Amino acid sequence: MATTTATLTISSTDLLSDELALSTTATLTGADNSTGLIGTSGLARKTTANTTEYTLFAAADYTDDKAHKVYLKNTSTTATEYFEIQVAGTVVGRIWAGDWAFIPWSADSTGTNCDIDITPQAANMTLEYMLFTD
Amino acid sequence: MATTTAAVTLTSDLLSDNMSVSASTTCVKAGTTADGLDQIEYGYVEVATGDEYDLIATTPTAAKASKLFVKNHSIDETYYIAITQNSQAIGRLYAGDWMFIPADFHDAAADIAITSNGGTNKIEYALFHEGTALTTT
Repeated sequence: MATTTATLTISSTDLLSDELALSTTATLTGADNSTGLIGTSGLARKTTANTTEYTLFAAADYTDDKAHKVYLKNTSTTATEYFEIQVAGTVVGRIWAGDWAFIPWSADSTGTNCDIDITPQAANMTLEYMLFTD
Repeated sequence: MATTTAAVTLTSDLLSDNMSVSASTTCVKAGTTADGLDQIEYGYVEVATGDEYDLIATTPTAAKASKLFVKNHSIDETYYIAITQNSQAIGRLYAGDWMFIPADFHDAAADIAITSNGGTNKIEYALFHEGTALTTT
């Protein structure tokens, strides 16, 4: 069984009067079980040619309602550049230059296809991404 | 100005090339390089099975650089919370899982909601943001 772990550390010495030092590690397992996630897209990069919306992952390609996880990183260093992230057409949010995200993904395709779509704010932006599947 | 950093490390032996991916970002306001997110809502709740709750009670300003951290502290592997935004399923956080996502809050209906499944889930959450639209009393 493969072992995949995700560790998050959030820290700040001046956001609150009490120093913030949040750290957590998850061993990524399947839905309703303790078996490690069984697949990955591997780490990949995509440079967008224009500001068109792209489908990054199509829900129909994966099993519905599992414990999939998606990692995204905007490699841009220009502060005003962001990727808008949508799931099934719903805007989840924007990852700005240098930001990353780690998102659980249902891949639901029974109603609306929960595709993960990205829209770059500018042309020639690069997104780093990886999918772990259940 | 506050300085908050968020770092992730992903490791896996799924591939022959053992993977170790790390990233770190300083959480700053939209379109800036050094103006740090300076507001936070941080809490812990127990959510009974079957009910859907808005995790964030106020409405942060839309189209900004808000970040939302959620961790499911449950230990039973069959427990999970379903994450929805604007009533759209995003994904599931099973026992022990966490997420760190950008949160847009593009309109009043775009709350992030959680629904507990399997049993009472114990949820830690933190929203880092740059302003909220407070509701009048």
